[in-house]
Amino acid sequence: MSEPLLHAVQVGIEFGGLRALRGFDLEIRQGDLKGLIGPNGAGKTTAFNLLTGVYEPTHGEIRICGNRVNGRPPHQINHLGLARTFQNIRLFRALSALDNVRVACLSEERPLFSRAQIDDLRRRSAGRSPVASAMDALNNYVDWWRALLLTPGFQREEAEITRRADELLRVMGLSHRRNEEARNLPYGEQRRLEIARALGTQPRVLLLDEPAAGMNTREKGDLMVLIRQLRDQFSLGILVIEHDMKLVMGICENITVLDHGVTIARGAPERVRQDPKVIEAYLGDSYLAAHGMEVPAQSTTSETPLA
Amino acid sequence: MKIPSALRGLVPVLVAIVVLAMLQLVLGDAPFFVYLASIVGVNVILAVSLNIVNGMTGQFSIGHAGFMAVGAYTAGKLSLLIKDVAISGLPGVVSDQVQFVGSLLAGGVAAALCGFLVGLPSLRLRGDYLAIVTLGFGEIIRVVVQNLDVFGRALGLSGIPQTSSLFAVWFCVFLVVLVARRLVGSTHGRSLWAIREDEVAAEAMGVNTTGYKVRAFVISSFFAGVAGGLFAHFVPIINPGSFTFVKSIEVVVMVVAGGLGSTTGAIVAAVFLTLLPEALRSLFLQLGGLDTGASLAQKVDQIRMPIYGMLLVLLMLVRPQGLFGNREIWDVLPRWFPRMWKGIT
Amino acid sequence: MSDFAQHLINGVAAGTIYALVALGYTMVYGVLKLINFAHGDVMMVGTFLGYGVAQELGVERQSTLWGVLLIFLAAMAGCAILGFVIERFAYRPLRDKPRLTALITAIGISFTLSYGFQLDFGPLPGAAPRAFPEVIAPREWLIVGDRSVVIWNWQVISLAIAIALMLALQGLVYRTRFGRAMRAVSFDHRTAALMGIPVDRIIALTFMLGSALAAGAGILYAIKDTAIQPLMGLYVGLKAFVAAVIGGIGNVPGAVVGGLLLGLVEEFVVGYSSSSWRDAVAFGFLILVLLVRPGGLFGRVAAEKV
Repeated sequence: MSEPLLHAVQVGIEFGGLRALRGFDLEIRQGDLKGLIGPNGAGKTTAFNLLTGVYEPTHGEIRICGNRVNGRPPHQINHLGLARTFQNIRLFRALSALDNVRVACLSEERPLFSRAQIDDLRRRSAGRSPVASAMDALNNYVDWWRALLLTPGFQREEAEITRRADELLRVMGLSHRRNEEARNLPYGEQRRLEIARALGTQPRVLLLDEPAAGMNTREKGDLMVLIRQLRDQFSLGILVIEHDMKLVMGICENITVLDHGVTIARGAPERVRQDPKVIEAYLGDSYLAAHGMEVPAQSTTSETPLA
Repeated sequence: MKIPSALRGLVPVLVAIVVLAMLQLVLGDAPFFVYLASIVGVNVILAVSLNIVNGMTGQFSIGHAGFMAVGAYTAGKLSLLIKDVAISGLPGVVSDQVQFVGSLLAGGVAAALCGFLVGLPSLRLRGDYLAIVTLGFGEIIRVVVQNLDVFGRALGLSGIPQTSSLFAVWFCVFLVVLVARRLVGSTHGRSLWAIREDEVAAEAMGVNTTGYKVRAFVISSFFAGVAGGLFAHFVPIINPGSFTFVKSIEVVVMVVAGGLGSTTGAIVAAVFLTLLPEALRSLFLQLGGLDTGASLAQKVDQIRMPIYGMLLVLLMLVRPQGLFGNREIWDVLPRWFPRMWKGIT
Repeated sequence: MSDFAQHLINGVAAGTIYALVALGYTMVYGVLKLINFAHGDVMMVGTFLGYGVAQELGVERQSTLWGVLLIFLAAMAGCAILGFVIERFAYRPLRDKPRLTALITAIGISFTLSYGFQLDFGPLPGAAPRAFPEVIAPREWLIVGDRSVVIWNWQVISLAIAIALMLALQGLVYRTRFGRAMRAVSFDHRTAALMGIPVDRIIALTFMLGSALAAGAGILYAIKDTAIQPLMGLYVGLKAFVAAVIGGIGNVPGAVVGGLLLGLVEEFVVGYSSSSWRDAVAFGFLILVLLVRPGGLFGRVAAEKV
């Protein structure tokens, strides 16, 4: 088995003296469906933001498809194969559903240098390659001229982008909303549109930030089925942050539990659910005492062995 | 008529050249009309180009007059330097026009370069900072020009060959509108809108937000420079007083009143807000004769600024999306001329 | 050497005025996250209010301590009211709209005030500069050597007033309940409201406070420069704003430091080259600072919550 698609090794971040996350390890391979849970303020969103490049880790290393991504801007991380949705829906509200997805779709055909060429150069020089940046800039320069002159190459690209976006809308059951402004869509469809948009970037790893927030039971059930389908149909590795235990326990094969920035448990849903440290974190030690369970010793870095 | 796809991009340009050439022949000799149309044209170019940054990309640049000044002074100075040199082998008029085009391009490129230098550091920061920096840039340019002999200090540059024409100005108007239109209909335009709607999400979806913002800024500055260059070639003198902060705000008012993001809105607002004071001024001069008329005309100039101020406040309170919001007239037209429209665009 | 000392004194004098106005910018930005472009013009209005009162009192002929006090109070009270009105009717309705909308409104108000005051019908003063009456009979306070360095009495009085105002503000912001409420609101509106703080009222009071300070600064400026005209708000305001950004916008001590620094830098650059470059200095300095420290000297570029 080769490199995992997403590999976080002992990642941590410090905000002016406060360690928001410490010793975070994570591996996502193709076909994985993993979960990240923890009480409020545990560091889940911080972890997400680190993985997606919004923050730069002060400790540890993050690799995507073998490329080290510490400190790279989010758009580059996205190009390397990682896409995300947002906890509070962040669609492009005044744009149509189709346009929302089209923004995410970068066409394969690049005017001068192919994406593969540039990515390869970048990989070989460990991230910092001025030649690759120059090639990218030249590509963009020519691209803008092609758009202005309406060249056949440009027209083909536009058609391809539109076709791919339409296909994604169809898969997510949103074709009937194609030309609607995103802000007019009902809540559930907005969530699906966000996923469609993320898929537009052709990711290898998909990070879903509280995808079930605000949904009712039936919608959550549909979502669970959908997530599994997406994983299979698009050959992805998926990481889900969620508060809803049923959903997480229902679809995730492996769950990491955070509390106060530290991983306190990791493993299959059954194991994690019964782990006293997890129960204490969520429900407090009075619950443990009331149910005749032992309060675990105060160690901050122990964890159940990887399942 | 089916247009081969390779040439689709050029058809509107050819049409424009023909139409404008005809207008030039018919109206080109009425000096006051040409002057008025040129002023309007320059303001339209300024408004449409600023709309690319302030409207489509959702940034806040308030130093557009600075880029106009860079273009005007660069083009003007260049024209002054080469005006006695004729290109051999070409008739005088053609040689003049070639020099004119060269000066315009130089002005545009100089302004674009300034846009790059100003935009790159400030667009990396959060929205408010661009306003401060562009404001500062405009002021710095003004002070620099006012203090250097090569630019004529406070008196400015005079004697620039008046080689502009109705055709030249409005062809540039056509170009900037075409650029804005083609941008909007492309993946680049969509990315700019995405940045305006939600920069964080756009970045997460693979849009290089800083790169796009800078590029939009450079394009916008280029056209502001071209507008300045055109301006320098149909007014007798250019001096720092034509490129003040007040001018920058005038352009901002046009873009905001027309609707942030709407090219059509920018055009309409620019035309209206340029013609109205001019019309009033002429009216007062005509009616009141030289004395009272002139002082009334001066009053128009004076009262224009506080009225712009109140207009901005009222607009924001009552109709912040301006005249057209972010819609265009060509979103409406296709319903009437569907096939022809699809053929051209 | 004496040149240097003279420039130093002048720089500090100008700097304290910038600092006073910058404080208003920074406080309003703190609670509203809004760059109040109209702030400098409020200062201008204050100056003209003081001018009007001074004329009425006939201060030219005889200046008394009470007269001077009255001028300050009238200007500061008048501007406090103006600030309240502006916030209540132009900014508050836009509080939930995107920030750009309020910015544009601010520019609109700035233009209305500054160019409005340039018109000359009715009570409006008109564009011609006027001489602010001498409220403090100038007397040399300290002379070094053979008049190589002169400190005037009004400079000392100005500085004393400015420092008094700044100390009062410092006490207000850091030691009173109002100050705590103000800082809570600048942190997060909703949290502050949940804690029982009347957010609207605090914001209104902050505006009034900033405007009053600006008026005070305006009078001090008029004492220093005597010539006043309606566009002065734009220029001084812009520079004070630059000072606030240099110090880190939203940061109160930063505004003071920024103001002083700007006053000194401006004075020294102009002193050693030529005064025509004065206006460019402020922005040049600003761009330099922003390149090195994007958040200003004391500010922090806050990470956006994703």
